[in-house]
Amino acid sequence: MSAAQGRLSSVMGHLSPATSGKSQLLQKSPDDIVITFAARTPLTKAKKGGLKDTRIDELLISLLTEVRERSKIDPNLVEDVCLGNVLAPAQGYVARCSVLAAGFPIGTAASVTNRFCSSGLLAVQNIANQIVAGSIDVGIAIGAESMSTCPDDGAPSWMSEKIIKHPIAGQNTQSMGQTSENVAGDFGVTREMMDKFAARSYQRAEKAQKEGWVADEIIPIKVKVTDPKTGVVEEKIIKGDDGVRAGTTAESLSKIRAAFPQWAPSATTGGNASQLTDGAAALLLMKRSRALELGQPIVGKFCGATVVGLEPRIMGIGPSYAIPKILGKLGLRIEDVDVFEINEAFASMGVYCVDKLGLNPDKVNPRGGAIALGHPLGCTGARQVVTALSELRRTDKRIAITSMCVGTGMGMAGVFVSEH
Amino acid sequence: MLQFQTTGFNGYAVKYSPYIDSRIAVGAAQNFGLVGNGRVYVLELTSQGILCPKFYDTQDAVYDIAWSEANENQLLAACGDGTVKLFDVNVAHQPIAQWSEHSREVYSVFWNQVTKDNFVTSSWDGTLKLYNPERAQSLLTLPTHSCTYSTEFSPHSPSIISAVTSDSHIRIFDIRIPASAANHLVHLIPIHGPAPTLANINTRANPLGPRPPPSECLTHDWNKYRGTILATAGVDQIIRTFDLRAPRAGAVTLMSGHRYAVRRISWSPHNSDLLLSGSYDMSVKLWSDGNAMSDASMVTPNLGRELGEMGAHTEFVTGVDWCLFGSQGWVASTAWDQRLLVWDARTIIT
Repeated sequence: MSAAQGRLSSVMGHLSPATSGKSQLLQKSPDDIVITFAARTPLTKAKKGGLKDTRIDELLISLLTEVRERSKIDPNLVEDVCLGNVLAPAQGYVARCSVLAAGFPIGTAASVTNRFCSSGLLAVQNIANQIVAGSIDVGIAIGAESMSTCPDDGAPSWMSEKIIKHPIAGQNTQSMGQTSENVAGDFGVTREMMDKFAARSYQRAEKAQKEGWVADEIIPIKVKVTDPKTGVVEEKIIKGDDGVRAGTTAESLSKIRAAFPQWAPSATTGGNASQLTDGAAALLLMKRSRALELGQPIVGKFCGATVVGLEPRIMGIGPSYAIPKILGKLGLRIEDVDVFEINEAFASMGVYCVDKLGLNPDKVNPRGGAIALGHPLGCTGARQVVTALSELRRTDKRIAITSMCVGTGMGMAGVFVSEH
Repeated sequence: MLQFQTTGFNGYAVKYSPYIDSRIAVGAAQNFGLVGNGRVYVLELTSQGILCPKFYDTQDAVYDIAWSEANENQLLAACGDGTVKLFDVNVAHQPIAQWSEHSREVYSVFWNQVTKDNFVTSSWDGTLKLYNPERAQSLLTLPTHSCTYSTEFSPHSPSIISAVTSDSHIRIFDIRIPASAANHLVHLIPIHGPAPTLANINTRANPLGPRPPPSECLTHDWNKYRGTILATAGVDQIIRTFDLRAPRAGAVTLMSGHRYAVRRISWSPHNSDLLLSGSYDMSVKLWSDGNAMSDASMVTPNLGRELGEMGAHTEFVTGVDWCLFGSQGWVASTAWDQRLLVWDARTIIT
């Protein structure tokens, strides 16, 4: 390097310091936790869509088989699989058995993690933490939910009197729909604002579908489907999401009747809340040094995640606490983030969070969210990572935050960097 | 506000003469100090404005200057080619002495203000060198193992030398102690974050915030009144003060407000709490650290107060200095905008 070049790079170093949170985040270190494969199944409507007859174990086997084959990872190297799931009974059996049935060897362990709607992201964090701690070298995080076959009955009826009478814990007897109305009522989110937010989700999802952007996220899977009329069971390949209603506008959504007339302000409808959906998403994680050793293609990096608690009766606004918390931990500014994938449990919380955090709406759920695509509870956290990485790749951007509200009053947020 | 154009040369340093109240020197370089010649201007403040009776051209950029404390007519230039040159105002064109010992850019030079018989330089070659102007070779080389942007003598001791480096540490050398494996090094103080101490280990001070990462330190200065306090600043845009009585306790005061790296800081010769800073954000700011000293009960650093900002420069500000004489508050600043500005810091206090 000539003297002039040396002096120039010295001055440049002073100006674009490697000390801002963003430049730190974008640096590559051998100890980074990287994602070498990320994909999801199509998301289809519960009880009606292509996955309606696919039980959770079958869904897991289909996706894990695809992950094993497409990632080209030696299955003997995968030491643990963490399943994020909320509703399935016998989760522990389902997880380990499905891993083995999907062609992983006897040495591949499995576990289940459940923090409601954040379970998929929690699974990513659990696997990453195990790798950081040196417990394992390679692991798979998977989020999956079959809402068709596993009913969501809400809070149990048998909770202790100490809980019911507790001023905070007792709020958990409220249904999720009621918490959406609480958010709308407490923070002045109107039906119009919610319908506008929901319409944008539909329109973006429609565009992403038409332009073929989502094809990058989805692995078509082969499942058995029973024809509801004839009862004939057929093997079908499910290729795409079916929740997106083309041509949806705020106007058309405004005609839908309130879903919860019993709770004021009754602004939530079937059109501006997330759909009941089946689906699964998976990520293959390891250290960067291991990925380079194995020749695995590095898709992105997991930079960290955090969780917060808040009043259960307004659980929807969890992201408005979780996002600033993770930004603070990583020294990031809100404008450093290119894509926000915030789970649209309800439009009320979506409107509130975007407004409260002062987010640029163009950066929030650019391919639509759970209102258009559906919200398979345990899957969503992992699904959002797949979507965010794909969108960053398409737009040649770097940093994404995924966040979601969590039933019983929590919020979670995680930061990912695309390395396309 | 008075100004002088250093046409064709981008400013790098400015220093008031410690002897003559109307004399200022500016060190400057062509092409922003990347390639080309350097120049030392010796300027006179007159009733007709700022005049330039003398200037000296050098082969390579001039990055820093220091007036002799022993001879009112002599001053030093730290040059990009590794040389240090001593000029005498009564001798035209050529330096009266030159030392060519550093292998890379010399980035700072400082004259001992106590004994007045030696001076120290720092360089990107990872060393400090101590010289006596009467001798042809340096007296001592102190390794820092890291690109060293700034070095000074303590204004209170003839034997204590400080340096700040790109590795984000303050080094304090005491040349009275015997040279040992530590090469006179008595303190190695991390700038970017406190070492754990009893005072801060079990507190909830900053429980969530990330520990600030290391960043290049570009400038530092000793407080003229409080002998154990020195201030540092650099690429992370934060000015910090440290108390050498508690070198492991971390920063005493944080002053944050610059939007790019801080290139030069200077404590007031008149007020023990006032500090001037020049930054790549093109501003010069005046701060008060509230005279904060280290205190065992302190769990979080004090926050200094920004008193005002001077925004007349249109490029990176590289040099600031206080006038020792006259009504207290006159300062000079130089920048890559090829201007020396002389102004009263009291006018920017808001």
